[in-house]
Amino acid sequence: MRTGLTTSVILHAAVISFGLFTLSSPAALPASDVEALPIAIVPMEAMTQIQQGDKKAVLHEKPAPVPTQRPDIVPDAQKIGENSVDTDKPVTPEAKPKPVDLAAAPPPAPTPIEKPKTEDVPKPKEEPKPIPATEVAPTPQPKEEVKPEPVKQANPKPTPAKEPTPAPPQDKTAAIQPQPEIKPDAVAEAIEKEQPTDAAQLPDSAPTPEARPKPQPAQAESAKAPERKDADKPVKEASSRPKSEDKQFNADEISALLDKQKPSGGGAKRSTQQASLGGDKTTGSKLSQSETDSLRGQVQRCWNIPAGAADAGNLKVSVKFKLDQSGALVGPVDIISGGGSDGVQRAAAESARRAVARCSPYTLPADKYDAWADVIVNFDPSEMF
Amino acid sequence: MENIALAEPGAHLSIWALFIQASWVVKLVMIGLLCASIWTWAIIVDKLVAYARMRLALNRFEQVFWSGQSLEELYRTLADRKTTGMGAIFVAAMREWKKSFEKGAKSPLGLQTRIDKAMDLALTREMERLEGRLGFLATTGSAAPFIGLFGTVIGIMTSFQAIAASKNTSLSVVAPGIAEALLATAIGLLAAIPAVIAYNKLSSDANKIGVRMEGFADEFSAILSRQIDEKVAQKA
Repeated sequence: MRTGLTTSVILHAAVISFGLFTLSSPAALPASDVEALPIAIVPMEAMTQIQQGDKKAVLHEKPAPVPTQRPDIVPDAQKIGENSVDTDKPVTPEAKPKPVDLAAAPPPAPTPIEKPKTEDVPKPKEEPKPIPATEVAPTPQPKEEVKPEPVKQANPKPTPAKEPTPAPPQDKTAAIQPQPEIKPDAVAEAIEKEQPTDAAQLPDSAPTPEARPKPQPAQAESAKAPERKDADKPVKEASSRPKSEDKQFNADEISALLDKQKPSGGGAKRSTQQASLGGDKTTGSKLSQSETDSLRGQVQRCWNIPAGAADAGNLKVSVKFKLDQSGALVGPVDIISGGGSDGVQRAAAESARRAVARCSPYTLPADKYDAWADVIVNFDPSEMF
Repeated sequence: MENIALAEPGAHLSIWALFIQASWVVKLVMIGLLCASIWTWAIIVDKLVAYARMRLALNRFEQVFWSGQSLEELYRTLADRKTTGMGAIFVAAMREWKKSFEKGAKSPLGLQTRIDKAMDLALTREMERLEGRLGFLATTGSAAPFIGLFGTVIGIMTSFQAIAASKNTSLSVVAPGIAEALLATAIGLLAAIPAVIAYNKLSSDANKIGVRMEGFADEFSAILSRQIDEKVAQKA
């Protein structure tokens, strides 16, 4: 046995040592030197759901404010900002000739300020005053006279207190006797009362008259309308006669009514917020659950379930229709499924079709129009009970 | 990419390095398999030599036995020697014969059975010696692959755990562990294949020798039986 063991050990030692030397380092497989490809894993949503925004902007937490589109051309817009209504035109210094238009302009000007005070003073002062203002301009036949006078008035601007007085005399010259008589007095009284207060302010600043006249054209134009609404009683008495005179065409009147302010450039509705990263338009957005429910509710409201449909079991109807941007139905309402030849089924299908048509302008989020441009609604009578 | 860089793959994949890197269970398995392989080969070598000698001895004995030499003489030369194979059977039979005749056996029938028993015993003992360690070869041949596989499974398990811990699935990280684990299976197969082949060959060789010895025992039994009958006839 010893010989066998020794030979075996020797044999193994030989084999192992041989193996260690020959099998020690297998040659590395030839691997071609390929440059690694960088691979970015992009979620599908990045392709299918793009938020509207600016392509070059940084991604913000907050979704994009509505990015600037071509601004709507708002005729009289002057202000820049997000307001939907823009008011208060800034002062345009070229409006100097305006005082000329309105001989009786100053009296109306004080009136708004007076309003609290005029309550103290006898009743109908506010209304009469506008009337002369509008009607005075038309009445004087010698138009040239009217103009020169304002010029004179324009010169004595610092003391507008005196202006009202020249104006009433013109009224007197005009055909209307009784009213003007009342007016001048009332006006004079009112103005005299006011002037202590106004006079202190007015003389100080020469341009103030310019500032005031502006509201005047507005008032002057609107005067007739508001007057009749506000106080019909005195106006009816006073204006019944002048109206006949109104009908006479007067170029001056038109020119007086024209707004001579230069329109300022449009520019409403530009967002001041920074746009977020996004595409040209929003795609792939889905309606949220509440929005879907809202649409369902709107459709259901108009749906009269046909009689007998409730217990008819499976009367599901799927209709497909298109909506335009405003939410109104466009084109026909297609019945996709349901609505067989059976009478009850046809009735159910028709009721669904009618419901969609009847509720037509749907209110849905406008920014997700892509999601609801094509709508499929399932009507299931069994869920209604 | 720097941390995945493959540093001299050859240095890490030599058999010795694989063995050193392996976990202790796998090492134990490998060492055990190596020992089994060594023992297997020791047995193979031993048996081959033993069978060759045995065949030689059988040939020589048969030559002597059938040479016409008297059985008494042959017994005398062989009795004080350590005998194997047919010699042992012959000696056992002759010893029984001598004992019975020297004391004056009464029943020749009983003598015949006793001689047969003695020869059977000697034959069994010889066969036992011949087939002595072949069982180990059989065991190694059947069990070594499984033991190697066990080592491999353990090795792969631990290497996968290590890979999971390293959080890197690069092939150069995965490969050495698996190669190391597969080494256990390789050693198992290395031990098992020769063991199976040798077992089959050696057991058939032992069978042949056994048949030959049995044949001799039968023949010798017949010769002795004839002798007994002659002796009984002489006495009667």
